[in-house]
Amino acid sequence: MSADDTQEAREQLIDLAAQFYDQFELGEIPHMSVPTRTKNNIEYDEDKDVWVYGDRESTRSANSVQGARKLLKAVYTIEFLADQLEEDRSSTLRELYYLSESWDNEEAQFSSQDESNNLVEDLEIVSGVTREDFHMRPEESGATIMGPLHLREQTRRGEREIHCQEDVGEGGYQIPNNPDTIEFLGSDADFILAVETGGMRDRLVENGFDEEFNALIVHLKGQPARATRRITKRLHDELDLPVTVFTDGDPWSYRIYGSVAYGSIKSAHLSEYLATPEADFIGIQPADIVEYDLPSDPLSDSDINALESELEDPRFQTDYWEEQIELQLDLGKKSEQQSLAARGLDFVTDTYLPERLGEMGVL
Amino acid sequence: MTSFQSTLGDEPGIAEELAESQQSISIAEFFEKNKHMLGFDSGARGLVTAVKEAVDNALDAAEESGILPDIYVEIEEAGDYYRLIVEDNGPGLTKESLPKVFGKLLYGSRFHAREQSRGQQGIGISAAVLYSQLTSGKPAKITSRTQGSEEAEYFELIIDTDDNEPEISVEETTTWDRPHGTRIELEMEANMRARQQLHDYIKHTAVVNPHARLELREPQEHFKFERATDQLPAETEEIRPHPHGVELGTVMKMLTATDSQTVSGFVQEEFTRVGKKTADSIIDEFRDRHYGREMRWRPPASHENVDLHAAVEDATANKGAEATAAFAQSIADGVDDYDRIAYHELLETVESAAEAVEDDHGTTFGDTVRENAVEAVWLELIDAVETESVDDGGADDESRLVADLYDLADEATSTRKDDETIHAFADRLGAAFGDELAAGDDEGNVRHRLTRTRLRAFVDRAADLTEEYDDVSFGETARENVTDAIWDVMATVPDDPPLVRELNGDRDATSDLVDAMRATDIMAPPTRCLSPISEDLITAGLEKEFDADFYASATRDAGVSGGDPFIVEAGIAYGGDLPAEGSGEVMRFANRVPLVYQRGACATTDVVKSIGWRNYGLDQPGGSGLPNGPVVIMVHVASTNVPFTSESKDAVANVPEIEDEIELAIREAARDLKSYLNKRRSMQQRRKKQNVLGKILPEMAEKVAEVTDRDEPDIDDAIARIMNNVLVERNVEANGDGRAVSVVVENNSGTNENLEITDIVSAEPTALSDGATVVEMDGEWFVKWEPEVPSDDEAALEYEVPDDATFDLDVKGVESEKLTVNQ
Repeated sequence: MSADDTQEAREQLIDLAAQFYDQFELGEIPHMSVPTRTKNNIEYDEDKDVWVYGDRESTRSANSVQGARKLLKAVYTIEFLADQLEEDRSSTLRELYYLSESWDNEEAQFSSQDESNNLVEDLEIVSGVTREDFHMRPEESGATIMGPLHLREQTRRGEREIHCQEDVGEGGYQIPNNPDTIEFLGSDADFILAVETGGMRDRLVENGFDEEFNALIVHLKGQPARATRRITKRLHDELDLPVTVFTDGDPWSYRIYGSVAYGSIKSAHLSEYLATPEADFIGIQPADIVEYDLPSDPLSDSDINALESELEDPRFQTDYWEEQIELQLDLGKKSEQQSLAARGLDFVTDTYLPERLGEMGVL
Repeated sequence: MTSFQSTLGDEPGIAEELAESQQSISIAEFFEKNKHMLGFDSGARGLVTAVKEAVDNALDAAEESGILPDIYVEIEEAGDYYRLIVEDNGPGLTKESLPKVFGKLLYGSRFHAREQSRGQQGIGISAAVLYSQLTSGKPAKITSRTQGSEEAEYFELIIDTDDNEPEISVEETTTWDRPHGTRIELEMEANMRARQQLHDYIKHTAVVNPHARLELREPQEHFKFERATDQLPAETEEIRPHPHGVELGTVMKMLTATDSQTVSGFVQEEFTRVGKKTADSIIDEFRDRHYGREMRWRPPASHENVDLHAAVEDATANKGAEATAAFAQSIADGVDDYDRIAYHELLETVESAAEAVEDDHGTTFGDTVRENAVEAVWLELIDAVETESVDDGGADDESRLVADLYDLADEATSTRKDDETIHAFADRLGAAFGDELAAGDDEGNVRHRLTRTRLRAFVDRAADLTEEYDDVSFGETARENVTDAIWDVMATVPDDPPLVRELNGDRDATSDLVDAMRATDIMAPPTRCLSPISEDLITAGLEKEFDADFYASATRDAGVSGGDPFIVEAGIAYGGDLPAEGSGEVMRFANRVPLVYQRGACATTDVVKSIGWRNYGLDQPGGSGLPNGPVVIMVHVASTNVPFTSESKDAVANVPEIEDEIELAIREAARDLKSYLNKRRSMQQRRKKQNVLGKILPEMAEKVAEVTDRDEPDIDDAIARIMNNVLVERNVEANGDGRAVSVVVENNSGTNENLEITDIVSAEPTALSDGATVVEMDGEWFVKWEPEVPSDDEAALEYEVPDDATFDLDVKGVESEKLTVNQ
C-alpha cells in the first residue's frame, strides 16, 4: 500500500470529524447515517453481480444519551486511527477494544468487542475506506492454501517467493491479513476447491487431491475471514480459475457458501471487493444425503429456523437453493462432510468429488 | 355462692319483686358506667377526648358569632392529676345557660338542627366534666364573659348523675382579661401517653381551620398555629329535612305537630326542596300507592261490534230523541278521543257531555241519567254487558279485555314466547279483571282500580296458571315486565288525598306517603347548611402545616345520604420534608373535626386503601393498602349529620353514597398528583440526560476540534435542540453610536411555551419592538416581554441602547431544566 493511500484514508477520517464539527457549529444535532445492516436491507446489484446494502439507513445521533456515547466513541476512534495512519502502524480489532481502556474518557471506552467491531464497520462505510486501509487487522484466521500456485508476498521482512505445494509443509500456505500484498506469479491449477472443515482439508491433502486434480485447496476454517474471501476472489479474477465450495450439509454451511459467493450481510459494502458470485456449491447437498445414503443427524429446531430464515434471505432466493432447502426440510436430516468416510476413506477423493465436479462441469 | 332454683308459680310475687328493683336510669349514670362510648376509655385517651370536645365547642361558638377563633389549650401536671385549661374568644355564655351547657348531658342547640356543626349531640363537653369529676373528684371551674359585660361569671360545678343536672358549688363574678370568651378548667386522672394523638389532633385542626389561631402548651412542648386566612367559613343555615331522608316514625311525629291542613301543604311546609310541583308529584305517587290506579281500556275501534251510541240511548229514558241522540253522540265522540280510557275519565266525559247537552237543549240530565250512561258505556268498554257476561264469555269470539291485555303482554314479553302462551295468559288475566266485578262489596271493583301490588298478584296468578296448564315457563322478568306495561297504561286517580288530620294516626296511609316521597324525584337538599373548607383553603391549610413540594385539593358537589346533604373534600400533599419512609399519612376530618382514633374502622381509611395508588404514581406494596412515600392524604366529610360508627365520633361509618364521594374526591386530587409526578419524573429524566449529555457533548466537541485542528465549536444551540429546550439567546450588534440588541427565543420543545422575560438594562432602551414594555427603576430599565412561542418556532425582542449599556436577562415561565439562556 502506498503512502498516498494512507494519506487519503487519513483525510477521509478527518473529514468525518470535520462533519461533526460543522454540525455543532450550525447548531445541528451531530449525527451520522449508515446503511442498516440487516438481511432486509440488502439488494442485488445487477451491474456488479453482488449483494449490496439497500436504501435504509440507521442514524447515530447525539439526540439520545446512547447515540451521543456512540458518536463520542467514533470521534475517539477516528483520532486513534488517524494517529495510527500517521505513524504507519497497524493494530488488530481486538487491540482497539483493549486500547480504548487507556483513553482518558470513560464514556468513550468500549464495553465489548462487538461494539468496537461495529464501529469500525460504520467508519468503513461512512468514509468509504476499507478496514485494511485503516491498518486494522482481524485476528489471524489461520486459513491456508495448498495447491500448484506460485506467488510473491510483501512481508515486513522483505519479499518472499513461495510455491504453495513445493515450498510449504503439510499445513499449506498461510493467507496473510491483507492479501493485496500478494502478487501471483503463476499457477498450474485448474480450479479452486474451498473446504469448510480442517478434517476434510487434511483428508484431501493426504489423498493428494491437489496434485491429482490440479486443485487449489483453500481452507475456509468455518465462516471465512475477509482475507480468505479476498484472495479467493483475486485468484478467480486474476487467474481465471473456477471456484467451488465444499461444506457440511447444514444451514450454517450454506451461509459459508453464501458469504464466499454473494458477500456477507455485515460486509455488504465490500461485496464488490470480497464476493465471488461465480463460486459454485459442491455439497454436501441434501440430495447427496439420499443419493449416497450418508449417515445423518436429525435437524434441530435452530437448524429448521435457520433454513426457514434462509428461504427469506434474498441471497438464497434462487431455484437451486429453494429446492435444496425445501428438500432438506422435508428430509429433516443433515450430514457432515466427513460422513462420506462411512463409505471408506478414499470415497470422497475417488468417487464423490470427481462425480460432483463432473456434474458441475468443472472436471 | 349458693343458687336457689325456683320455678315460676312457686313464688307468686316474683314479678312484683323484680319490678321493685327496676328503675329508670339517668343518662349521666348511664355514661358514668359507659365512658368508653364517649371516648373516655383510658387516662391517655380521656385527655385527648376532653381537649377535642372543648376545642370543638370553642370553634363552634366563635364561628357562630362571626369571631375568628383564638384558642388556647394548656395541660399541666397537678399532683396526681392533670389540669386541662381551654380558653376561647367566643361570645361567652349567659349566667343561665352556662351551668346546663357544662353540667348536663344531652343539652345542646344542635341535635335538632340540620346544619353542619362540630358538636351534634350536646354530650361532649359535659362528658368531659363528668369524666373529670369521676376521676379527680374535683368540680369543673368555668369562667365566661359575654361581650360588653363588665365582669366575668365564675362557676364551679359538678354533674349530679342521679338526675343529670348541674350542681353548682361556687358562683361568683370575677375579672378576666379577655373581653369575651369562655375558659374551662378540668382536673382529671390522665397521662400523656397519647401525646402523639394530642399533637395530631391540634395540628390537624389547624389544617382544616386555617382561619383559627391555636396554641397548645403541654408539660413538654409548646406549639402555636397561626392563621392562614382571615376569612371565616361561610355561615351555615339550618334546613328542613329532605323528603328522601325521613323515616316513618319521624313523619308520623311531624304530622302531629304540623299546622298544615292538606298533605300538599304539609310536604311543602315541613320539607326542604318541595314546592307545588314536587308536592303534586308526591301526591300522585301517594295516590298510586294508597288508592291504586284505574285500568284504562281502549275505546272500541270501528270494526268492533260495539255501539256506544246505542248503549247510551238505551240507557237514557225520557229525555227526548234529539237531546238523547246528542248526549249519546257527545259521549261516544268523547270516549273515542281517548287512546285509552279509565273509569274516572269516562265519568268526566259523561259529565261534560251532560253539561253541553243541557246547555244546548235545555233538558236536564240528572245524576241518575248520568250514572246510567256511565254504567252502560263502561260495561260495553269492559265487555261486561249482561248478555255476554264473563261467565259465558267463551261464547264470544274474544273478550275486549283479553285482546287489549294480549297486546300489552305481547309487547312486554320476549319474542320467544309463542302467541298461544301469551293468549292463554291474557285470557286468564282478563278473567281476573272480570272477576273484580263480582268481588268485594256490593258494587265490586267495577272501576278496575288496583294497586301495583294487587296488579302484580293478578299477573302472578295468571302466570302461575299458564305455567301449570300450558307447561311453559313464565319467569320473574316476564311477570315484572307485563306488570310494568299494564301499570304504565293505568291512570292515576283524581281522588283527593286525605287531610293531614285523617292521615295523622293512620300508620298505613303514612307509610304510603313516606314511600311516595322516596319514589319522587326531588332535588338534592340545599348546601347552604354545609360549610366545606374549599379547595383553596385546604391547600392553604396543608401548606401551612406540611412543608411539601406539591399540594392538590378537590371539593365535590354536594350529595345526599339519608336526607342529609354532605360534601366530601380531599387534599394531598407530596414530597418536600414529609417522611419518605413508610406509609403515607391519612388525615380524616368530619365537619372540620380531626378524627384521631379508630383509623381502621373508618370508611375514609377503607377508601384510601382500596384505591390503586400505583396508577397515580405512588408506591403501594401489593397493589392495595396505604400508599408508601412522602404523602399526606386528607379527607373531609361535611354533613348535617355525619354517620359515625359510635358516640365517640372517631370513625365515619361505611355508607355507600359517602364512600363513593370520598373515592371520587380523592381520585380528583390524586389526578393532579399524578400529573405532577409524571412531570417531575420526566424532568428528572431530562435532568439526567442533560447531565450525561452535558458531559459527553463538550468532550466530543473538544475531541473533534483536536482531530480537525480547529477551535472548539459552540455547542449550546445543538444542546438546546437535543434537549428539546427553549433557547434564549442575546445578540448584540454595533449600530451607529449605539448597539442593536435582539433577544431571540427558540422553542425546540413539543409544546407552546409562554415565557416571561425581563431584561434589566443599565441605559434607556429605545426603538423597542412590539409587545414589550419598559419601566425605569433606580436608574435601571426593566424591559418586560411575555411572548408565546409555538413549538419549533422562534420570537425576537429587539431594541437599541447606547454603547456602554449592560444587560441582565431573567427568564421565567419555563422549567429551568428546559431552559438554555445565552447572554
